[in-house]
Amino acid sequence: MSYPPSISRKFWGLDFDSPIMLASGTAGFGEELLTLDCLSGVGVVVSKAVSFKPRAGNPPPRLFETPLGLLNSIGLANPGVHHVLNHILPLTEKLPCPLLINVAGESIQEFSDVVEVLEQSKTHLGYEINVSCPNVADGGAAFGVDPDVVFQIAKGVSRVTDRPFSVKLTPNGGDMVMVAKAAVDGGASAITVCNTFLGMFVDWRTGKSVIKRKVAGYTSPALLPLVVARVWQVSNAVSVPVISSGGVSHGEDILQLLAAGASMVQVGTRLMRRPFAGAELMDEMQKLIGE
Amino acid sequence: MTSVVDFDCAVISQEMVLPDVIKIVFHSPEIASSAKPGQFVQVEPSKGLFPVTRRPVTINRLTDDGFELLFDVVGRGTELMSQKQPGDKVRILGPLGNGWDLTKGKKWLLIGGGLGAAGFQFLKDSISDSVLLIGASSKDRVVSLENSIVVTEDGSVGSKGLVTALITEENLANADSIAVCGPVVMMEAVWNAVPEKHRHKLQISTESRMGCGWAVCDGCSIPMSDGGYKKCCKEGPVFPGIEIDWKRWKEAGL
Repeated sequence: MSYPPSISRKFWGLDFDSPIMLASGTAGFGEELLTLDCLSGVGVVVSKAVSFKPRAGNPPPRLFETPLGLLNSIGLANPGVHHVLNHILPLTEKLPCPLLINVAGESIQEFSDVVEVLEQSKTHLGYEINVSCPNVADGGAAFGVDPDVVFQIAKGVSRVTDRPFSVKLTPNGGDMVMVAKAAVDGGASAITVCNTFLGMFVDWRTGKSVIKRKVAGYTSPALLPLVVARVWQVSNAVSVPVISSGGVSHGEDILQLLAAGASMVQVGTRLMRRPFAGAELMDEMQKLIGE
Repeated sequence: MTSVVDFDCAVISQEMVLPDVIKIVFHSPEIASSAKPGQFVQVEPSKGLFPVTRRPVTINRLTDDGFELLFDVVGRGTELMSQKQPGDKVRILGPLGNGWDLTKGKKWLLIGGGLGAAGFQFLKDSISDSVLLIGASSKDRVVSLENSIVVTEDGSVGSKGLVTALITEENLANADSIAVCGPVVMMEAVWNAVPEKHRHKLQISTESRMGCGWAVCDGCSIPMSDGGYKKCCKEGPVFPGIEIDWKRWKEAGL
């Protein structure tokens, strides 16, 4: 690898003008981005999580902004895999870039069950297997800390699809390098580093958490060094590409993550604030390295 | 195709109209030409890294080449917004959401709680026949609007009492549509004060802690009476009162 890193990438054998992926849960299925016409500069859209059955999601408030970041407790709200297949994926045919579908499950079996149904669609490039959601009671991050469970989930997904998939890891407990290796052994074609950090905000007047499920997922520009460190550790330990997720506010942050070992870089909370983040971040990077 | 834009809008004027209540007029011919009453915009309080999300504010009314916002200074984000001066450029996304449903008849009863009444100016500009009731804690929370009947809890302006005391069978029966905007507890009190036979006329302007404002994050969910949720930013912020699950919404503690 040469430095500074190139903005254009080769990933999973495909050529991308942009290293930017839109992180799961911050871009819907890309359909709102089509409506706003803000997909310029976006390399890949990662959908919100899809589970087998519909999930209503967590009771509000689902968001709480702290002085230096954002707590979320969405709870994998989604209409279930069959609704997604029949009513939402057809809308994504118009996307100008590839789509990865983020898959959630409450059991090892559910991940491959969801993927098997989605295999009927031709619109998506691959999957992101979410073994790391901090906002659900069953499955979620509890899976993501156990290398054996992650191996079995990846193995199960490999059996039902030939499409590439990334496994999205949790930073909350467990040995991320061990879990990443287990995912690759199970057939993962990339590792996403990483899901949100466990966070909480307690009202000192009442002793109660502002979020009904008490703990939530925390995102912040201040997490960038934590993500850089984990990307560096995991990318040095596995043979598959690493996709970073977390901490990006500006184009310079993306260049740093690429230099640290990321192949592609997800943008999440920044996109929520700036719908046109794809074009804005590409512009910032191009100015910095004159590509 | 969309009329939603994300532009740097110049501040035309800024003034404190009530204690800690700021009115800012922005230049934006695009929003002025497309916004409907009841819609909102997402305001970026700072160009810096923090706060990490924008602040949703209902469009108070339109001007010839822009729009007016009126907001409470309640935290760091709105404090930063309150410091904007004429000539400053502020990134604003909008107009967003669905406004008031103007197709349900001509005669309106408008019921506002505190600053929630502010957006009724825009609605009044779009309809011909309305009765406006405003309730507030004190004169410091009463937005000045023409032809309004005002009550305050401390009696500092208008008669002393709650806005629900102004709701009568006569003004409910005369209205084709009833628009309500204010704090959740006030709107629930109005819901409870309206007899069942008139409840189908109620349109409720909701609010929620909001992430994106453009329907991607699923953070601003309002509990619905069918047990599910709808997005305040996309399917709302105005909902038929009969669709809202008032108990679960109040439990959200907003």
